Amino acid sequence: MAITHIIFWFLTALALVSALMVLLSKNPVYSVLWLIAVFFAISGHYILLNAQFLAIVNMIVYAGAIMVLFLFVIMLMNLDKETEPQKDIWMKVAGVISGGCLLIQLVRLAKDAPEMVNKTALLKTGSIGLIENLGKVLFSDYVVPFEISSVLFLSAMVGAVVIGKK
Amino acid sequence: MTILALDWFLLIEKLILIAIIIFASLGVALYTTFAERKVAAILQDRPGPNRAGPFGLLQPLADGLKLITKEEIIPTHANKWLFILGPGLAMTAALMTCAVVPWGGTIEVLGHQVDLQIADVNIGILYVFAVVSMGVYGVMIGGWASNNKFSLMAALRAASQAISYELAMGLSLIALLMVTGSLSLRTIVEQQVGHVWNIVYQPLGFLIFFICALAECNRTPFDLPEAENELNFGYHQEYSSMKLGFYLFSEYINMFISSTIMATMFFGGYDLPFVTSHLSIPGTAAIVGIVVLMAKVVMFIFLFMWIRWTIPRFRYDQLMDLGWKKMIPLALANMLVTGFFILWHQNNWHF
Amino acid sequence: MNAIILSALCGVVMMFSGILLKNKSAIKYVAIAALLVLIIGNLFQFYGIYTIDIDSKGLLSFDRTGLFFNTIIFVATLAYFILSGSDIERAGPDVAEYFALIFFVLCGVTILTSFNGLLMFFIGIEILSIPLYILTGSDKKNLKSNEASLKYFLMGSFSTGILLMGITLIYGATGSFGLQSTTIKSAVTGFSSAGILAPVGLVLLFISMCFKVSAAPFHFWAPDVYDGAPSVFTSFMATIVKAAGFFAFIKLFAAKSEDFGPGPAWKLILFVIIVATLFIGNITAVFQQSVKRMLAYSSIAQAGFMLFALYSTNDFTKDGILLYTAAYSFATIGIFSILTKMEDYSLDGFNGLSKSQPVLAFTNTVFFLSLSGIPLTAGFFAKYYMLASAIKGGGSLSLVIIAVLFAAVSVYYYFKVIQAMYFKEGVAATNTPITGNFKVALIVLAAIIVILGIYPTALLGFYYF
Repeated sequence: MAITHIIFWFLTALALVSALMVLLSKNPVYSVLWLIAVFFAISGHYILLNAQFLAIVNMIVYAGAIMVLFLFVIMLMNLDKETEPQKDIWMKVAGVISGGCLLIQLVRLAKDAPEMVNKTALLKTGSIGLIENLGKVLFSDYVVPFEISSVLFLSAMVGAVVIGKK
Repeated sequence: MTILALDWFLLIEKLILIAIIIFASLGVALYTTFAERKVAAILQDRPGPNRAGPFGLLQPLADGLKLITKEEIIPTHANKWLFILGPGLAMTAALMTCAVVPWGGTIEVLGHQVDLQIADVNIGILYVFAVVSMGVYGVMIGGWASNNKFSLMAALRAASQAISYELAMGLSLIALLMVTGSLSLRTIVEQQVGHVWNIVYQPLGFLIFFICALAECNRTPFDLPEAENELNFGYHQEYSSMKLGFYLFSEYINMFISSTIMATMFFGGYDLPFVTSHLSIPGTAAIVGIVVLMAKVVMFIFLFMWIRWTIPRFRYDQLMDLGWKKMIPLALANMLVTGFFILWHQNNWHF
Repeated sequence: MNAIILSALCGVVMMFSGILLKNKSAIKYVAIAALLVLIIGNLFQFYGIYTIDIDSKGLLSFDRTGLFFNTIIFVATLAYFILSGSDIERAGPDVAEYFALIFFVLCGVTILTSFNGLLMFFIGIEILSIPLYILTGSDKKNLKSNEASLKYFLMGSFSTGILLMGITLIYGATGSFGLQSTTIKSAVTGFSSAGILAPVGLVLLFISMCFKVSAAPFHFWAPDVYDGAPSVFTSFMATIVKAAGFFAFIKLFAAKSEDFGPGPAWKLILFVIIVATLFIGNITAVFQQSVKRMLAYSSIAQAGFMLFALYSTNDFTKDGILLYTAAYSFATIGIFSILTKMEDYSLDGFNGLSKSQPVLAFTNTVFFLSLSGIPLTAGFFAKYYMLASAIKGGGSLSLVIIAVLFAAVSVYYYFKVIQAMYFKEGVAATNTPITGNFKVALIVLAAIIVILGIYPTALLGFYYF
């Protein structure tokens, strides 16, 4: 077992456990912290795939910016147990059953998918994830969607101003 | 020496390097506190700490001892785990940044070429940003877990300030990266060795970066998270003993690291003009490099302190106004002008 | 490309017009002028006179159907601006920004009519959705509007997540964002020989798109959002945005080529969804007391009819979706423009409108007749084309019979409004004085609907010639 395999399994276990803890934690602040752990684990996976830029951007954007905002909102909320709405037990059961059905289906499909059998990810090889190649592809083949997404951000910014203004 | 598909020499080399750099950072942080008090004293025309040791040189050790031996208090209604996690995160994030800084050239140890840098990743500067943005968590978690309204307010201030100034900081660096064409800190330094420093190309970019660095380190005039008259003491109000020490230290380490980054990005890193590129004896260049880099860092740290004891603090709305309405547009304009000049240079346009 | 670039530019122009123009009502005229420029620019490309040419590396492709659909959408927006422009001014303080957001939505629409691959499709869907979340919540003092906005945003984000997961699986199966590959084709026409990832990805895409067009059982957000949003913006959401969503949906699954339609397995899923949508939309609409909420449910019911275009992909489909878009959008925009003028949105609020405002009552009647699909209005032919395409597709007579039955149900609740306007005593109060221009515009819109109802080739003639 090479060192990359050990790291891979460690990161996978970390990601899964953390993701479960996000759901199972009673305290939303803990959930946010576990979610950050998930992002770290996934960034680790990206690095294993030699996609360093993606890994670091994942950390800057998700762990560094979005989760800070989440934490902001949660910290300003009143987290008393009395004011929390009680969820119906049947809703929980229904949610678990339907979500579990989807999970079983997806796992089964993934297990049998001919596209995925006997194929492993390319670890430590491939250079498309490096920033030079990514930049070249982004500014040649995908320049139109890149530019058009500026409209998306512009509209989101206008929206933020409209919503935020008194 | 490869067992388990690992180069053990490399591993040991890096571990030693990491240990040296961490202890050096801690030492620098320790003596920065001393320097801060001395600088303040000089600026205010008073002697400053002068009892412990010659010129008060043992003062920081005494301070450290005091912090460690103080009673540890965890407030009753505080969230215990997060209360302890907060200072730890702040310290970790502060120390992690130095992984990508090139402290000097290459030296030879036991027949191996050893780079005086822990990791030369090709996204170096982005890594710094990622770690800096993690630093907010230590403050926020500590402030929230203290279960004190003033701490929470200060933590929120610190976080929103950090997020706001990170934007302008990143934008000002984009212009620099357009000039250098690389994100790796080593490449950036090597480009400057024997050539002009980047400050010549990016004076405005440096100014923006410097102001944002002040804000990121919560230094005056941006030390709103610790505004005593409004918030008692700040986000670490409930902390005592070494946990408080961690927060204070992490701030000084942040200052040290941002000075290093500024020296590396804009002032040639370990480059001594007209000298470094002519040093032919191997090893000498690296040693001279480290000394030169440290000299530059000390200059920046002095600048930080000078500003702290000279300029009063902003009001919070002024701070946000400066960040969003002045720094970001300025950084964008800087980017645009830089882009124009690069195109001009590349295409040999004539007017 | 003309329309994409111009609509984005128009949005920017509107943003600046808010700073430069102090007079609020002037902003509306700037918006109308910008829209006219947009229409002309689009027609330039449609007739091949002048096209801004940008090499999109095969990510965008422009065909006549898409460009013509753009034109219909822009003209419907023009009608919307003329009829409801003054209501947008009253919706809140940021008039210029509202217009800017509407133009950004139009940019999303133009991308959705020309995408050639899942990447542009996704960007189009997002540009379409994000301004809508904001427009829904633009009435900031109103708790219902806030709730609707938050609900829409959360549900929309969730469905976007499902969409992205679908795209990921398809990308994993085919290695590209394109839709031309044989894997996708065999996944659409039948599940065999397509592997597993692509069909699963398509199912996720399908679910997400059903959500965006509010087809049952993914419709739960629609009534609350349509009811909670300011009425002017509900009008825009329920017509133009929904039609664009359908166009993208059909383009994604069917309109690649004539021989390339959903296979039997898909047809079964679609059958169930169409029947469920028709059932829930129509039956729930019967019990509504608020006209606005009734229209929200009726828009779900209309979505059921529009899904026919996906069910049967043949010559009739394209004509059908174009005609349906025009008929449905024009009529609904007209109804909402009248509704926003009313003091009371409940059914009783319309009592005796024919006495106080005969023009409004008459045109409203025409719009409702068109929505219910009575002959001599555009709605009749729109429904006819949809059902005809299903019959031509063969083997789905039962679906057509069900649809006709539900169309009959829809007549009942649409006629309740007409009944209230003409046969009930009361004083239907309007919240603003009705201007002569507004009446003229309404009459013109009603006339268009009647002309399309008598002579539908008037619209399709443009398309073919």
